[in-house]
Amino acid sequence: MVTNRTWGDRVFNVFLYVFMIFMAAITLYPFLNVLAISFNDSVDSVRGGIHLWPRQFTLNNYREVFTYPTLVRGFYISSLRTIIGTALGVLSSAMVAYVISCEEFIARKFVSGLFILTLYFSGGLIPEFMLVRKLGLMNNFWVYILPGLIGGWNVFVLRAYIDTLPVNLKESAKLDGANDLTIFFRIILPLCKPVLATVALFIAVGQWNSWFDTFLYASSNPDLTTLQYEMMRIMQNTAMSSTASMYGLTAANAPRISPESIRMTITVVATLPIVAVYPFLQKYFVKGLTLGAIKG
Amino acid sequence: MRKLYNQRYLILMSLPFVIWVILFKYVPIWGWTMAFQEYKPHRTFFEQHWVGLAHFRTLFQDPMFYEVMRNTLAMSFLSLLCGYTLPIIFALLLNELRDGLFKRFVQTVSYLPHFVSWVIVAGMFSRLLGVGGAVNEVLMSLGIVDKPVLFFAKGEYFWALVTSIDVWKEIGWNSIIFLAAIMAVDEDLYDAAAVDGAGRFRRMWHVTLPGISTVIAIMLIMSIGNLINIGFEKQFLLGNNLVKEYSEVIDLYVLNYGIKIGRYSYGTAIGIFKSVISIILLFTANRVIQRFNVEGRVL
Amino acid sequence: MKRIIPLSLCLLLIVGLIGTNVLAAENDPLVLTMFSGDINPDDTGFEDPIAKKITEATGVKLKMEYPVGEYEQKVTLMIASGEYPDLIFHKNAGPFVEAGAFIDLTPYIEEYGENIKDLYGPYLNRLRYSIDDPSIYFLGSFGVGSKTWDVSGVQLQHAVAKELGYPKMETVQDLEEALKAYIEKYPTINGQPTIGLSLLADDWRFLITVTNQAVFATGGPDDGEWYIDPETYEAVLHHTRPEEREYFRWLNHMNDIGLLDPESFIQKYDQYLAKIASGRVLALTDARWQYEQAEQALRQAGMFERTYGSYPIVLNENFRRADLQDPGYSAGWGIGITVDCKDPVAAFKFLDWMASDEAQILNNWGIEGVNYEVIDGKRVIPPEEMNRRLNDPTYRKTTGVGLYVYPFPQRGDGLLDPTGNTYTITTPDYIKDRYSDVEREVLSAYGVEMWMELFPQQEELPIKTWGAAWQIPTPEDPKYQMAWQRIQDIIKRRIPEAILASPEQFDAIYDKMLAEIDDAGLAYVEEKFNELLQNRLKHWGIVE
Repeated sequence: MVTNRTWGDRVFNVFLYVFMIFMAAITLYPFLNVLAISFNDSVDSVRGGIHLWPRQFTLNNYREVFTYPTLVRGFYISSLRTIIGTALGVLSSAMVAYVISCEEFIARKFVSGLFILTLYFSGGLIPEFMLVRKLGLMNNFWVYILPGLIGGWNVFVLRAYIDTLPVNLKESAKLDGANDLTIFFRIILPLCKPVLATVALFIAVGQWNSWFDTFLYASSNPDLTTLQYEMMRIMQNTAMSSTASMYGLTAANAPRISPESIRMTITVVATLPIVAVYPFLQKYFVKGLTLGAIKG
Repeated sequence: MRKLYNQRYLILMSLPFVIWVILFKYVPIWGWTMAFQEYKPHRTFFEQHWVGLAHFRTLFQDPMFYEVMRNTLAMSFLSLLCGYTLPIIFALLLNELRDGLFKRFVQTVSYLPHFVSWVIVAGMFSRLLGVGGAVNEVLMSLGIVDKPVLFFAKGEYFWALVTSIDVWKEIGWNSIIFLAAIMAVDEDLYDAAAVDGAGRFRRMWHVTLPGISTVIAIMLIMSIGNLINIGFEKQFLLGNNLVKEYSEVIDLYVLNYGIKIGRYSYGTAIGIFKSVISIILLFTANRVIQRFNVEGRVL
Repeated sequence: MKRIIPLSLCLLLIVGLIGTNVLAAENDPLVLTMFSGDINPDDTGFEDPIAKKITEATGVKLKMEYPVGEYEQKVTLMIASGEYPDLIFHKNAGPFVEAGAFIDLTPYIEEYGENIKDLYGPYLNRLRYSIDDPSIYFLGSFGVGSKTWDVSGVQLQHAVAKELGYPKMETVQDLEEALKAYIEKYPTINGQPTIGLSLLADDWRFLITVTNQAVFATGGPDDGEWYIDPETYEAVLHHTRPEEREYFRWLNHMNDIGLLDPESFIQKYDQYLAKIASGRVLALTDARWQYEQAEQALRQAGMFERTYGSYPIVLNENFRRADLQDPGYSAGWGIGITVDCKDPVAAFKFLDWMASDEAQILNNWGIEGVNYEVIDGKRVIPPEEMNRRLNDPTYRKTTGVGLYVYPFPQRGDGLLDPTGNTYTITTPDYIKDRYSDVEREVLSAYGVEMWMELFPQQEELPIKTWGAAWQIPTPEDPKYQMAWQRIQDIIKRRIPEAILASPEQFDAIYDKMLAEIDDAGLAYVEEKFNELLQNRLKHWGIVE
C-alpha cells in the first residue's frame, strides 16, 4: 500500500514536471520571439523566419522608439495612475465586498445588485463622455482614477474569498466590541492578502494598459498622456509613414523602420515594467498565512 | 431604526460607493434613449428624431444577426468549457509543485502571453499553421498528410482554433485567481486527509477543490452572464475572408453596422439587447448554481 | 542712498515686467488649435526650422491634435460636445457641415484670398459644398493639377522577364504563359517552392490587390467601388460589370492550374511581405506602397533581379489601362475654419499665406541656402543634402521640410512657378535616379526609360470630368450605409470563394453573389449614388 502510493506519487511528479516545463516553453516562446525581432534589423525582419535569436542584431528599433521625447513623461503618468488607481481601487473594492458579505446588512441585496449589474451594461461612449465633461474631469488627472475606480468583477472575487473565511472570527470580534470598520481593517484585510494581491494585479494591469481614456479625455493635454497612449501614437506614426506614399505624400521620404518591428519593440518597452510586478506580488501567495496567523 | 443605527458603520462604508456607482454607471444609462432615436451628435436631446422600436426591428429582421449570434454563442460556450476549466486544473497542478524558484518561474512565464497583443499572436499562429509552418512540416514528415493543410481556410476548424489559441494565451492569467483562492484552504484539512491515507489526487479532489468552490461558483456565474460579451479582436485578427461565416461575432457586427458608420443608435439598441440577455443568463446561472448547494452566489 | 537702491530696483523690475509684457504681446504668436484627421508622423510641436519660418511670416503658431484612436469616434465626440478647435482638417465634411461647425469662407476668399484663388484656379468652384449650398467650407487637400509619373500596374519579377527574353507583356494571357514557363524551369527558388501569383486579402487590403485590379485590368480608373461610364456618367458597382467577372474567372483559372498562391486569401500582411522578400513570388497585382517594404528587403539582400517591374496588363486586347488618366481635382478632404475660431481673419490669412508661392517653395524645398540652392535661376538640392533627404529617417523631423505640405493647400507635382522651377521636388529625373541597374536593363530591353512609358499616356486618355468618385462623401443615410456595408461583406466572402472554386462552379457562385448583392439593396445604393454624382456634375457645370 505504502510503496504503491509513493510509486504513484513519483509517476505523478514526473508527469507534473514534464508538463510544467512544456507549459513554460510554449508560453515563453512568444515573448522571446517578440524580443528577438525587436533587436533585429527591421528591413531584414520583413523576410521572416526569426525565432529566439536576432539574425542581424541592431538597436535601431529602440533608438527610433526612444526618439520620442514624450516617453519619459508618459512613463511617469502611467506609473502614477497605476499606483494611485490600484491603491484606491483595491481599498474601495474590498470595502464594498466586505459590506455585501455581511449577511445582516439591510441593504446587502440592493448594494450587491447595484454592483453586479454594472458588469453587464453600459450607457455607451457618448453619455459617458458627456458625464466626464459635466464633472469637469476633461484633461484632469483624476479622469484616470474616478470613472473606473471599482470593477464589479473584482468586488465579487473579493467577496467570494471573504465568504470562505470562518464566520466566527467576526462574531468574536463583535463580542469584543469591535465595529465593522475595525473588523474590516484589522481582521478582513490582513486575511485577504492573496486575493488582494490578485485584485491589485488585475487593477494595476488594467491601469497600465489603458490608453483609450487618454484618447477620449486627455489627448489635448500633452502633460497627461500615458505611456500606452504614446506607444499607440508611435505605432500609428510608423504605420502612417509607410502608407503615406499611398497619397504620394512622402515622395522624398527616407525608408523607415517597419511597423512590425516597431510593434515588437513597443511591446517590450510597454510591457516589461508591468510584467515585472507579478513576481513581487507572489510573495503574498503563501499558504497557511491566513488561518494559521489567526490561530497563533 | 435601531437596526439602522446598529449598522451605521456598514452604511457609512457603503454610501460613498453607492453614490459613485450611481453617478458613474447608472447616470449614463440615459444614453439608452438613443436606441429609440435616429441619434445625431449635433442635436440636443429634444431635437432628436424618435423612431420607436425601428432599430430593434431592423436587428431582428437581419439574417446576418442570427449568423453572428450563432458564432458568438458557439465560441463563448467553447471558451467557457475550456477557458474556464483548464485554468482551474492548471492552478491545481501548479499548487502541487513544491514552493520554490521553479514554481514561481512557471507561474510568471505562463502569464506572459496575456501581455502580447492579439495582432502579434495572430501573426505568430498564421505563420505556425501556414503552408511552410512548423505544424505542417511535422504533419508532412510523419506522413499524416501529403499536402499542407490550410488550417485557417476551413470554417469548420475556426471555432476550435480560436478557442485553443485563447486558452493558450490566457491560461496562466486566468489561473491566478484560483491560485489565490487555494491559499485560503485550511492547512489542517490536508493533514487530516493525509492521516486518512488520501493520495494526492484525492486530496486535490476532496480538499482543494471544495475549498475553492465558492470562488469557482462565483466566477462561473459571472462568466455565464458574460457569455455574449465576446469582444471581436481575436476573431477578427485570426479570421479571414474565407471563414467569415464562422468568424464574425456580435461585437464586430456592432462595430461594422453601428459605430463605424456613425449609427450610434443602432449600436445602442444592440447594446440593450445584449444587456438583457446577460442579465437573464446571470439570474439563471445564479439560481441553478444554488440548486447544487454550493456556497457562493452573487445576489 | 540705501533706500533708493531697493526702490530703483523695484522700479526697474516693474518697468522690466511691463516691458517684457509689452514685448511679449508683440512677439507672442497667435496660437491656433487644429485638429488634423490624419496623423503627421513627424510632428515637432511646430518647433522645427520651417515652422519657425511660417510663424515669422504669419504670426501664427499651430497647436495640433491628431486622432490616435478612431477618427470617426473623435469626430462624433467633438460634435456631440459642440466645442471645436480653431481649424479642422476633415476626411468627411458631412457631419461637420450638418452640425454647422464650419464658417463659410467665400467672403474671406473675396477679401483676403489672392493666393488661394491663384492656387485653385479653375477648380475654386469645386470647393463649393453642393449645388444647394454653394458655401465654401474648406480648402481641399492634395496637389492641385498633379501629374503622375509613377505607376504600379501589375508586377513581374525582373528575373522572369530576363529569363524569357523580354516577352510581350500586355494581357493576362501573356503573364500566365510567362509564369508557367518560368516555374517549369525553376520549380524552386532558394530551396522553396516558386509561387506564380500571390494575392493579399488581409482586411481592407483585399480591395487593393483583388477587387481594384479587376477594374484596372478592364480599363477603369480608380473610382473606389464604382465604375462610371464616361459617356453617360452612369455609375455602377464595378463588380457587377460582366468584363470583371472574366477577370475573376482568370484568377479562378490561375488557381485551378496551380499558379495562384493557395494562401492568397488567408495570409496576413507580414506573411505576404516575408514571402515576397524571400524572392520566390514571381508576380503581384498590388500597389507599390504596399509591397515596397519587401522590395526594400530584397534590395538590401542584393537580390535586385527579384524586384519587380510594372506592366500594363489588361484582360485582353480590347482594353487599355487608365492608370495615368487625369482625375481632375475633387476636393473631398480639406481644412476649414470653425465657428469657435478665436480670430477667423487671422486664421484665414494664415491659410492664404500657406497657398502662396513663397510658402509652397518653403514647404517643398526648404530654406534657401540650407536645404537647397539656386544656381543660374534653377533650384538645386546639393548631393549630400539629397542623400540625407533620401536616407536619413530623421530628416523631416529635424529640418521640417515637407511637414506642412499636406494637408494644407498644395500645388501638384510638375507645375512650374513663375521662375520656371517645379513647386515640388518630384520630377521624372528624380524617379529615374532611384531605379536599380537591373531595372534599367529591363526597361531598355522594352525600349523605354520609365515604367510609365509602357502605359497608355495621359494625353491619349480623356480627363475624368467627375474627379475621383471615392471622394464623394457617402450620404448620412442609415439605409444607404447599412446596404453598402452588407454589399461589401458579401463581396468579401463570395469573390474569394468563387476564385478558389473549381472552374465549373465559378459561375454559380458569381451569380449567387450578384443575387445576394441585389437582395442587399443594390438598386437603392446605386440610385442614391447616381443622384450624388449627378449633383456633383451639375454643380461643377459638366452637365446641365
